[in-house]
Amino acid sequence: MQERIRKELDSRPEVMAWSLAHITSREHQLYAVAGGTESRRAVANEYYLVDVLRQVVDSEGTVGCGRGNSTLLGGDDVCAAVGEAATRAGLVHNPPHGLPEPAELPQVPLAEEGLRDDPATTLAELDETLRAEVSLHPQVRLTSAEFFAEQLTTHLTNSCGIDAEQRETKLYLEWVLIAERNGDSVESFVSVTRRRVEDLDLRTHSARHAQFAVDLLSAGSPRDYSGSVVLRGEALGEFMNAHVIKLLSSGQAKYKQETSWEIGQPIHKTKVVGDPLTLWANRRLPFGSESSCFDREGLPAQRLLLVRDNSLANYTADQQYAEYLSIQPTGEFGNVEVGSGPTSAEDLLSEPHVEVAVFSWFNANPLTGGFACEIRLGYLVDGNRRTPFKGGMLVGNVLDALANVRWSAEQGFFGDYKGPTTARFGELIVSAGG
Amino acid sequence: MAELVLPPKMDLLRKDLGDLVSHIDAKGVYGAILLSSRRGLRIEVDNSVESVIQDPPRDGSVVTAFDGETVHEHSLCGFDAVATEKRVKELCNTISSSKPVAFRIGPERKGVYATPMEIDPASLTTEQKLDRCRDLHRRTTELARDVINVRLSYIEGNEYSVFRSAKADLAQRVQRLVLYLVVIVGGPDGSRAYDMARRSGTCGWEGLEFTDDELESLVQSAHALLGAERVEPGEHTVITSPGVSGVLCHESFGHGVETDMFVKERARAARYLGKVVASPLVSIYDDPSLPGGFGSYYFDDEGWLASPTQIVEAGILRRGITDLYSATVLGLERTANGRRQDFTRKAYARMSNTFFGRGETPVSDLFAQVEDGVYLEKWSSGMEDPLGWGVQVTCHVGREIKNGKVTERVFSPVALTGYVPKVLRSISAVGDSFALEGGHCGKGYKETVRASDGGPHLLLRARLG
Repeated sequence: MQERIRKELDSRPEVMAWSLAHITSREHQLYAVAGGTESRRAVANEYYLVDVLRQVVDSEGTVGCGRGNSTLLGGDDVCAAVGEAATRAGLVHNPPHGLPEPAELPQVPLAEEGLRDDPATTLAELDETLRAEVSLHPQVRLTSAEFFAEQLTTHLTNSCGIDAEQRETKLYLEWVLIAERNGDSVESFVSVTRRRVEDLDLRTHSARHAQFAVDLLSAGSPRDYSGSVVLRGEALGEFMNAHVIKLLSSGQAKYKQETSWEIGQPIHKTKVVGDPLTLWANRRLPFGSESSCFDREGLPAQRLLLVRDNSLANYTADQQYAEYLSIQPTGEFGNVEVGSGPTSAEDLLSEPHVEVAVFSWFNANPLTGGFACEIRLGYLVDGNRRTPFKGGMLVGNVLDALANVRWSAEQGFFGDYKGPTTARFGELIVSAGG
Repeated sequence: MAELVLPPKMDLLRKDLGDLVSHIDAKGVYGAILLSSRRGLRIEVDNSVESVIQDPPRDGSVVTAFDGETVHEHSLCGFDAVATEKRVKELCNTISSSKPVAFRIGPERKGVYATPMEIDPASLTTEQKLDRCRDLHRRTTELARDVINVRLSYIEGNEYSVFRSAKADLAQRVQRLVLYLVVIVGGPDGSRAYDMARRSGTCGWEGLEFTDDELESLVQSAHALLGAERVEPGEHTVITSPGVSGVLCHESFGHGVETDMFVKERARAARYLGKVVASPLVSIYDDPSLPGGFGSYYFDDEGWLASPTQIVEAGILRRGITDLYSATVLGLERTANGRRQDFTRKAYARMSNTFFGRGETPVSDLFAQVEDGVYLEKWSSGMEDPLGWGVQVTCHVGREIKNGKVTERVFSPVALTGYVPKVLRSISAVGDSFALEGGHCGKGYKETVRASDGGPHLLLRARLG
């Protein structure tokens, strides 16, 4: 079918350029409840994504470019689908741009071979392992778990000569640990996305979240607080993956004047009093959840230096916006990688602070960086004393917070974030409320 | 019966479903087949570029066999008779009947349904839709010459589904439309702010109109957000707009009463059935049969006919919303809330249109009662905590209320958080207004479905930050 689509695309004089992606996925899903298995599912999916560019001329005679797409399933009418894509492309009028040329592709490891061979068995083994790990913590019970294993193959070709294939595996697990005391119950919810089993680290996650559940049983309400706040591990990854940096560093936002960030200029409006921020948009991270050898357009993976010592070093841009800005295309953002700091995590944790262990959901205004997010579990820490609390809000601004942060020297990998395991923000607010 | 023309391949396969389901039933289990087609069109127009994109179609079949303990399913893309029959045989080879189970499979039901529309998107060409979007974009930019960008997004969701079991033979077309307008403005110091307005519903193009006054108000609001302050953290007297009321409802006794969460012991509400959980002024409903609601449908993805469920009645929690599995294992009545993200995912108990019941207090009287408070006008997101009964509603626009009047002071972002029963018990007046707002709803961090929520304006006390 791929060949038929290619021939159809080549036969149309109005099509200036095209790309075709053939995507095949096989997924197994296992849904466990305390007493057994709620559901077992097998999912097969296969489709073709067609993208076309054509030259368009508007009513004033200005030459522009239109882009249109279409998706085909097996057995669909190829001629009709390509025609629809070309028709859509003919409707819009944008400044001219092209598609990526072939380039050397890095070999980024994205797939676990064993998982590709037999995902159903992998999931059954994970279910067994998880139950065994949780049983090591008698204070908690596993009441539900979901296991997803997907094998995904993408074969991308385009009219400029790109012909590339990548195979990926994806694992998604979520589970719920319940702790009970005196008729009250609390939960710790865990969700982990990785590409291979060994990166799931069920032992560490189970132990940490068992402790969270136990601590939640005795957690009180917070008091109003202003001062140092520590984020570690997954919570830090969640903070760094908020869409603020991704949006403000994008070539698309630059072209549309939605970001005021300029190359070589500081990203902060406030004076930097903490460690300098150096950050990469990294699609080359081995087994990173957001890694790829090439992106949906075929642009090769990069480890793109985005912010160097608090100043913007590059914009991210797809082919269209790169041409509009006359910069090199970088492709999709990928994973967040942050440079280490000079201080050990132990030292960062030694002074009194608040640690936010679990947010309800960390979401910030992507244009301004402002946030006010509910704390599902936090700790007031003073030396070895960790007093848990729940509720209240962490209030601040992502960019201001990054101007006053100290990063740990130790690095960790958390799926879509690689960087310091610990960050100590100098001045944030915990609002207890009424 | 409504006139319904199914996609040809779906229509062809539909004819075989009765026989295929009977093979599964012959194994002594509950069998069903869902054919689901979700296609969409997205038109985006802003000040510098425009695009017309077909959302990747999610067309596929789900073959289900439920033995009372485990739901076994095969999902396959497209509507291929041979492939579907093969999956049915594979399932039949791996399952067998276990102990007798009282499946909640309901009475005989047969029907075809379709969203009523004055201007069916299918009757317009893509070019006509693009021209309408360009026209609205032009009207907005004319009112907003000093803005950085005006972004318009038109999202068309075309859903067809066929459900077949021993008792059900159903087909529907549901047309969901959304129109977003985002106005982005800049300050002299390089700062940026935006505000957004939306229209949504199960409707035709007639549901997507904006008046010039609404567009002007949107532009003014975006400018006002450049000077937005942070609200003083703490407990405040609050009036919520219908949209913000809806998110509060959705995150509290929406997610909190999805009975798959009861099975997983993740919902505190399971212990509060028949108990007081809110002010006596409060009633909460989920209603997939609500005409025009963005979350509406005629039957759910498990073939249950849509009808309203009263979740909270005069402050007392009455019942949850169910899917087939949780209703069966818990012995609960079915409601039409078994929904899938698409054919690749399982069905869970999910909301449709969830809302607070309308009250009797004129909205102006609500404001008149507030000496010093905050009007939460627009929401941006919410998060549930069904076991801890925490709630987080993040608002994009809050406005100061002084002596019963909304002032020029604007707060953004503003988060409302708190303990669900405490927040709902603090409701001291319920407005006579009513509106729903459409959006997307996830289960945790995934399983997105289209839903709406809303209700009237509410007067309450809550923690803001």
